[in-house]
Amino acid sequence: MSVLIDAASRALIYGIAGNFGRFSARDLASYGTKVVAGVAPGRDTRDVEGVPVFQDARTACTTTGADVALVYVPAPAALDAVLEVLDAGCKVIVYPGDGLPVQDAVELRAAAWRHRAVLIGPNTPGVISPGKSKLGFMPSFCYIPGPLAVISRSGSLSYEAGWRLTMAGLGQSTVIGIGGDPVKGLNAAEAIELLHADSETKAILYLGEIGGSDEYAVARYAERPDAKPTAALIVGASAPPGKKMGHAAALVGSQADSQAAKVEALRKAGVHVADNLRNLVDTAQHAFRQCEVVTS
Amino acid sequence: MLMTEHTGKCLLKAHGVPVPAGVLIRKSGHVQRWSGAYPVALKAQVLSGGRGKAGGIVRASDPGQAEAAAQQLFEREFGGESPASLLMERWVEHSRELYLAVTVDGQSGGYVILYAPSGGVDVEHQAPYKYTFGSPRDFRAHELRSMLAEVEPDGALRERIVALARRLLFVATAIDAVTVEINPLAVLPDGKLLALDAKIVRDESAAFRQADLADEIERARKREPRMVAKALAGNLMMVGLDGEVGLMSGGAGMTMATMDMIADAGLKPACFLDCSSNPTPAGYQLAFDVLDAEPKVKAILVSIFGGGTQIDRVAKVMNEIMMKRKSRKPVVFRMNGTGREKADAVMRDAGLHNHPTLESAVDAVVAAARTQ
Repeated sequence: MSVLIDAASRALIYGIAGNFGRFSARDLASYGTKVVAGVAPGRDTRDVEGVPVFQDARTACTTTGADVALVYVPAPAALDAVLEVLDAGCKVIVYPGDGLPVQDAVELRAAAWRHRAVLIGPNTPGVISPGKSKLGFMPSFCYIPGPLAVISRSGSLSYEAGWRLTMAGLGQSTVIGIGGDPVKGLNAAEAIELLHADSETKAILYLGEIGGSDEYAVARYAERPDAKPTAALIVGASAPPGKKMGHAAALVGSQADSQAAKVEALRKAGVHVADNLRNLVDTAQHAFRQCEVVTS
Repeated sequence: MLMTEHTGKCLLKAHGVPVPAGVLIRKSGHVQRWSGAYPVALKAQVLSGGRGKAGGIVRASDPGQAEAAAQQLFEREFGGESPASLLMERWVEHSRELYLAVTVDGQSGGYVILYAPSGGVDVEHQAPYKYTFGSPRDFRAHELRSMLAEVEPDGALRERIVALARRLLFVATAIDAVTVEINPLAVLPDGKLLALDAKIVRDESAAFRQADLADEIERARKREPRMVAKALAGNLMMVGLDGEVGLMSGGAGMTMATMDMIADAGLKPACFLDCSSNPTPAGYQLAFDVLDAEPKVKAILVSIFGGGTQIDRVAKVMNEIMMKRKSRKPVVFRMNGTGREKADAVMRDAGLHNHPTLESAVDAVVAAARTQ
């Protein structure tokens, strides 16, 4: 049993009739994810890639038993679409879109809590448990099954890191894109709790950046006596202060937001921190060897 | 997006939050537009912090003093920024300064109210009291009241703070602000509260439902250097930097990671340029147009690890752009991700080299930029 999704997960794609929806219907099915339903309100599409398409999420879920969802709608429609799949009973929802108003993210986070569900996103490629299931659009070839969990604020950086780990033979239990926005459905502290409790995860790699406070939550975790070995890469050392670097939350406003301050806090807490992508795999391997020592 | 004090106060006033009477002065000669009584405060309208400590707020007791103060403020810079305007306001006598803010806290993933019993320029030296409630609909006045009871024994003042906090929360949701901060918040001799300053940060993602914010963003875009303004107008995410290596990338994290590697190799990136917001032929063409036209860019690195962006399509577009392109600046490619095998074939057929790793691509572009 991996965290969030596994081979038994039954996926719904909201917005399945669009380009991303169609691509994911094919891509997820070829990875082995059970794509059981699509939703496309107002469209008369009945079927996409052999997946039945419904007008609303509740009918889709009751008819097909869908319990996880991938939602492809633009930001202005995201609040309502995600609330709809929550109301329909989906327990894990990925919203990959960017540009979601912070106020809507706050609403969705609160709604997910009320429904005892987990929202991953916004601004994320989703989640993958290699060899079992995938709910998102990360390139599958970047990942192989294994004991290292990855948490990332950036999608593209998680592909690059996954590919490097995979090339080095260091497989992954689950890779979670928590997203680059300031308010997240699942933040670093919550993702790390899930992975801490996951028996398939032996060590954790965190991919962070400037701005926000997620990195300090990772440092607090690493200080715990029972923490799993943790490695990290924090990007944005060369970013100028006061400028938003693409992600809504990636901005150095204060000293605590800077890459240097975060690296210092993580190292102090015992996290293995890579200098840059060049030594990322070595750093992850250091953390991993530490857990072999602990368990042997 | 951070609003100036004057814009912030207009937003507060429109929602019934009391602010001092004031006028905006765009030139020093315009202080005569003030028809109110003296003394007045002249306040530099700049976005950088620490304005008060840097002398950006001047008291003037008559028109002559006001004119002199205005001239002096217009000539100064605050954090590298010269004020485009001054806010001229009635000088407010008050007995006490408080700090009150509504802001979105990423850690708890929701709204918080922050309160400090003594506000003003040194408020950062003390941790404010924090009431965390998440969704605006979960704000409870009684919870805030009981938190305030520990610091504010004056019941009447406490009630005014609770009511104002509720109002600021309403403002934050109505105008899509992620921060509405009043510091200092003055307690007047009659016990009423008055916002002496306003720091409002609005959420740019909400521009689709906030027409005035969309206008502000458009105006800010026009103030950017030409290279950046052009890229932003084409829906590319760009931040101008000072270096020689033109970086064209996909995804914020990988763009920053690549910038860091360029910096570690001893050169500086010329920009943060993330094409993932417009991964179309027109978007990539614009990215090349912008970097080719910028003289300080000596060489270009195209580094994309595509997930939702199918990299074989990008490879085709790159090939088409390279065939038409006039600039002779060296271009180094490193593309990987969804559709990479087809992409490799496209690049090979076009006679373009696709670097197998980011390391070799960064080393190649740094070497190329050095020899230009």
